[in-house]
Amino acid sequence: MLLSVDWMREFVPYDGTVEALADRLTMIGNEVEEIIDPFAQLTDVVIGRVVSCGKHPEADKLSVCTVDVGDETLNIVCGAPNVAAGQTVPVAKIGARLPGGVTLKPAKLRGVRSEGMILSEREMELTDDHAGIMVLDGALTPGERFVDALKLERCVLDVGVTPNRADCLSTLGLARDAAVAFGLPLTSPTACVQESGPDCRDMVRIEIPEPEYCPLYMLRVLQNVSIAKSPEWMRMRLLAVGVRPINNIVDVTNYILMEMGQPLHSFDKNLLEGGVIRVQRAQDGQEFTTLDGQRRKLVDSDLLIWDGAKAVALAGVMGGENTEINADSTDVLLECAVFRPASIRKTARRLALPSEASYRYERGVDQVGSRVALDRAVQLMAELSGGLVCKGVAENEPRPWAQPVIPFRRARCNDLLGLDLDADFCKKTFTLMGCEVDDADADRWSVRAPSHRLDLEREVDLIEEAGRVYGLDRIPADLPSISKSLEAVHHKGEFFFANKLKDWARGVGLNEAVNYSFVAPADLDRLGLPQEERIAIANPLSEDQAVLRTNVLAGLLGSLRRNRAQGAVRLGLFETAHAYFSDPDSETKAREALRLGLLLHGPRHARGWPWPTEDADYLDIKGLVEHLLDYLKLDVAEFRLLEAHSFMSPAVSVVLGDDAIGCIGRIKPDIADFFLAQREVWAADLDGEALRRMFSASAITFEPLPTLPPVRRDVTLGCPSGVLSFEVAAALEKFGPAILESVDLVDVYAPQGESGERNLTFRLTYRHQTKTLKDKEVDKEQGKLLDTLTKALPVRFFPPES
Amino acid sequence: MADLATLLGELERLVQECATQLGQASSSEELEAVRVEHLGRKGRMAGAMSALPSLGPEDKPVAGRKANEVKARLTAMLEARQTELDRAAEAEKLASFDPTLPGRTPPVGSLHPVTLVTREICDVFAGLGFDVVDGPEVENDWYNFEALNMPPDHPARDMQDTLYVTDSIVLRTHTSPLQVRSMLAQKPPVAVVAPGKVYRRDSDLTHTPMFHQIEGLLVDRKVSMADLRGTLTAFVRRIFGPETNVRFRPSFFPFTEPSAEVDISCVMCGGTGHIHGETCRVCKQTGWVEILGCGMVDPNVYGFVDYDPELYTGFAFGLGVERVAMLKYGIGDLRMFFENDVRFLSQFS
Ligand SMILES: [Zn+2]
Repeated sequence: MLLSVDWMREFVPYDGTVEALADRLTMIGNEVEEIIDPFAQLTDVVIGRVVSCGKHPEADKLSVCTVDVGDETLNIVCGAPNVAAGQTVPVAKIGARLPGGVTLKPAKLRGVRSEGMILSEREMELTDDHAGIMVLDGALTPGERFVDALKLERCVLDVGVTPNRADCLSTLGLARDAAVAFGLPLTSPTACVQESGPDCRDMVRIEIPEPEYCPLYMLRVLQNVSIAKSPEWMRMRLLAVGVRPINNIVDVTNYILMEMGQPLHSFDKNLLEGGVIRVQRAQDGQEFTTLDGQRRKLVDSDLLIWDGAKAVALAGVMGGENTEINADSTDVLLECAVFRPASIRKTARRLALPSEASYRYERGVDQVGSRVALDRAVQLMAELSGGLVCKGVAENEPRPWAQPVIPFRRARCNDLLGLDLDADFCKKTFTLMGCEVDDADADRWSVRAPSHRLDLEREVDLIEEAGRVYGLDRIPADLPSISKSLEAVHHKGEFFFANKLKDWARGVGLNEAVNYSFVAPADLDRLGLPQEERIAIANPLSEDQAVLRTNVLAGLLGSLRRNRAQGAVRLGLFETAHAYFSDPDSETKAREALRLGLLLHGPRHARGWPWPTEDADYLDIKGLVEHLLDYLKLDVAEFRLLEAHSFMSPAVSVVLGDDAIGCIGRIKPDIADFFLAQREVWAADLDGEALRRMFSASAITFEPLPTLPPVRRDVTLGCPSGVLSFEVAAALEKFGPAILESVDLVDVYAPQGESGERNLTFRLTYRHQTKTLKDKEVDKEQGKLLDTLTKALPVRFFPPES
Repeated sequence: MADLATLLGELERLVQECATQLGQASSSEELEAVRVEHLGRKGRMAGAMSALPSLGPEDKPVAGRKANEVKARLTAMLEARQTELDRAAEAEKLASFDPTLPGRTPPVGSLHPVTLVTREICDVFAGLGFDVVDGPEVENDWYNFEALNMPPDHPARDMQDTLYVTDSIVLRTHTSPLQVRSMLAQKPPVAVVAPGKVYRRDSDLTHTPMFHQIEGLLVDRKVSMADLRGTLTAFVRRIFGPETNVRFRPSFFPFTEPSAEVDISCVMCGGTGHIHGETCRVCKQTGWVEILGCGMVDPNVYGFVDYDPELYTGFAFGLGVERVAMLKYGIGDLRMFFENDVRFLSQFS
C-alpha cells in the first residue's frame, strides 16, 4: 500500500518528519518498506511559457518556439502537433536529467539550434499519452520547478500491510493508526451531496437472491456528466500512489478506493437494461468479457452483477466490457457494495485476476463506512464532471453489520504480554482506535469494535492492540523455566541419527551436499527408476522441479555434473536426505525414507604427493560402507553381486542379516557420461532407516582384554576363479576350532596367465582363554581345519616352505 | 728378561699412535681397523703384552695396571671418535632433510552450512530445555494450514506460495505443522524445536523453492511474551555474540497473536548502518536485520489440538536457517547453498 503523506495529513495533523512517521508506523506493525519520491524523475523539469511558435523553415512537422523559463528565454524545436504560443508547458533545459537517466544535450534539428525540450506526459513517465506536449495551468510561474509548481507529493511510503489489517489498505486507515500512535485527533472524511432530479430508487431495483454472498449493495445515479480528463491535482495524486489516471469518473472511484479503501464500480447507465440490478452467481461454463477485453470462462461459484438482460460485472473483481464508462457516457450508475471475501478471493485467484478492488474485498471492507464512501465519490464525480446527482440511494442490505462485543480482562492481557499496563492506558488506546469501552466491571470490560476493524473479534485481538500501541519492543526479556512431565516420551528422532551419519561422513573426508528434493522426471528416467511410486508436484515452478526424487543419488549426480562443469577433478560427496514414494496407506499419501548417498569420482586422495594418484575404485566405496557399519557397531555385511541394476554396473547389494541395507557400485559409463564424469563414478545408496533401526538395537558391550598370548599362523590357499574371498573366510570361521579367534585376509596374489586362480593368504589367530597354547596343539587344530576346508571348497592348500 | 721400562714406554707410544690414526679415520670401517690394530686379539696391545710373563714378579702388577689403564684410554678414545663420526653423519643427513615437503594429510570433510547452523541453533535451544523433533515434508493441508488458523480461501495463505501434490496435500510451506503435531502427540508442557526442509513456489535472487527452517514452540501454564523475548534474546546472543540487540516489531501470522517480527542489530555494521562511511548493504542503513517471526500461540490453534486456552499459553517462533547462515558466514548469494560447488562446500569444514 502506497501512502501519500500529504494526503494522510488531510485526516491527521501530523507535523513531524516523514522518517519519524515511517519509524513509528513500522513499530506499530505497519512496516514501511521504503520511502519513495514518486516524481524523482521530474526533479529537473521547470515551468516554461511558449512566447512564440513558428514553422520550422526546413520541416513541416516541426515548430520553432521561444520559451520563457524564468531567468532566460530558450529557442526550442518542438515536434508536437499541439504546441502553440501562450501555452504553459513543462520544459527540460540543457543539462537536465531526463526520465530514464539521459542528460539533455544541445542539438541542431534540421539546421535549427534547440536549447531544450518541451515534454509530453509519456516523456515525463507520467502516463502513456504521447499525442502532444503536456499543457499546464496558465497561472503557473515560468522558471519554477515543475514538482514545486504543481505541489507534487515528494514522499510516499510503501507500507507492507499484513493480511489481517484490511482497514490499513487506505490512506484513511493508515491515518487512523498514525493518530492512535501519536495520540493525535482524527478528522474523518465526510460528504455533503447536492441532490437533484428524479429519485434513483425509482430507476433501479436491487435483487440479492443469496444474501450470504452480498450483505450490502448500494447504487447512486449521476446524470449529464461530461467524460474528460481529471484536473491535474487529482491526476498527480493518483500517480503519486501508483494509480494510472483514466477519466473523471473512473479516477474518482480509484481515488475513493485509495482514500477510504472502499472499492466502487461505475457503469454507463444507458447501457444497462431492465431497471434492475441482480447479484447472482454465474452458471457453470458461462462466458463473460471483462473490461480488459478478456473473454473468461466462469464457474458457478463466481459472483456476477446482472442487469435485466445480461451479466455486467464480475462482482468485486472487474467490470464488464459491455457497460464500461466511455467517452460518450452521460449517465453513471455507481455501485458501492460489500461481498463475501472468500468468494471474491476464489474467483480472483482462479482467473489470476488480482485487482485493487478484489484485494480489498478479499480482506473485508467497512460496511458502515461504505455509505460515506459512496456519497464522497458521487459528490466528487459531480464536481469533476459537471453531472447532477439524482436523489437518494438505491440499496439492499440483507445482512446489516453486527457490532461484536468483546470481553477484555486486563489481568489476562498483562499475563500474556508480560507487562503491567494500567487501565487508563488500555481504555484510552481502545477509545482512540474507535472502540466503545464499557468498564463497569473492572475485571471484565465489554469492548465494542468499530466497523472498520473487522480483525477485532476476540479478547486476544484487543490484547494485541494494547501491546502493539504500547510497543511490543518494550516487553522485558525473561527466561522461562521449562518444566517437563516425566511421562513425556523422550524420543530421539531422525535428526540425531542423521547427524551421526553426517559426522561420520565428514570424518572420512566427504563433503556434504544439499540438493533440492525435487528433480525432473527425466532425471529419474535416466536412472531407470520406476515411475509408479513417484510423487509429482501439481504446480511445479519448472519441469526441473516437477517430481520428488525417489533416489538420493539423482541429486548427487546433478551435483557431480555442476561441479564437473566448473572444472572439478575430484569429488567425494555425501547427502543425507529423504527419498519420497507415493503410499496410499500413509496419512500424507507419501512415504519419506531417510537415505545416505555417497559419491566418489576421480583420484582416491584429495592431495597429491606423497599420496599415490590412482582413481577411486570399488574397494574405496566398499571400504567406506564397511567403515560406516563398523562405526555404528553393526555386524559385518555381506556384499552380493547383483545380476542387473538399472544404473550401476557392477552393482553390489549390501546385506546385513536378513536386510538389504543398500546398494553400491559404479554408475554405468553411458549414464556417467551424461553427468560429464569422463572417469569412473562410484556410488552408494544406503537405507538410513534400516541403519537407524539396527543402530538403536546395537549397544556397546565391554569385553575384558585377553590376558594370554595369541598364536598366529598364515596360510595361503589357491582359489579358482569364482570362489569369493568372503566365502573362504566364512568357511574358515565356520569350520575353525573354538580357539580360532579371528581370520584376516592379508594378501591376494593373482599369478599371471594361470586361468584366474588366485592365492589368498589368511592370517589365523588362535588364542585360548585360560592357558598358553603350545605349537603342537595349534598345528593339530589347523591341520584338521584345512582338511575340512579343502573338502568343502575347491581350494588348494600350499604347505609352508620349510 | 724383558724390561719394564721398555714395556711401559711401548704402551705409552701405543696411545699416541692410536690417537694419530684416529684423527685420520673418517668412517666406521676405518675406525674398526684402528680398533683391531690396537685392541684386536692379534693387535699391538696384545703384542706388547706378550712380554708380560717374562717380567719379574714385582714388575708384573705395575705393568698389568698400566696395561688396563691404556686399554681403557684406547677404548674411550675409540668411542669418542665414533661419537664424533656419528654426529657428523647425522649432521650430514639433516643437511639434506626437507622439512617442508607436504605431509601425508588425511582428507578433510565438510558439513553443509545449513547443517552447521541448524545444529548450532538446536544446541542452543536444547540447552534451554527444548526437545528436537521432526516430521513429514509432504504434509496434509490440515496440518500445514487449517489447524494453524488458515482456512481455505483465507488471504493469509497468500503469504506463502504453495507447491501442491493434490488439493489436500502440499509440500510443507513452513515447519509450523510440527507445532500441531507436537501438541497432538503430548499434553503440556510442550517445549520443542523442529528443524527441516520447507518449500515455496518462489524462485529469484533471494528465494529458493526449497529452504530450511527451525520452528520453536513452548506451551505451558503462564507462558508470556516476556518469556518469548528472553528465549530469543538468549538465542541470538549465543549465535551472534553477546552485544547483539533484539527488536520486536508487531506483525501478523495466522497462528500467533500477538505476532512479532524480530530484528537483530546488524552484525555487519554493528547496528550503525554504516561501514567505514559507506552505507551498509546488509541492513540497508537501518542498523537492523530481520531474522525471524514469532508470537503467542493463537487460541484458535489450541482449539484444533484440544488444549484449554484459558489454562495454557505459549509462544512459537520460526526462523530461516539460510538467512542465519548468510549473516553468520557472510554469504551473499542464497543460490550457492544448493549448487553444491565443492569449492563452496569445502569451506565449511
Ligand atoms: Zn548493517
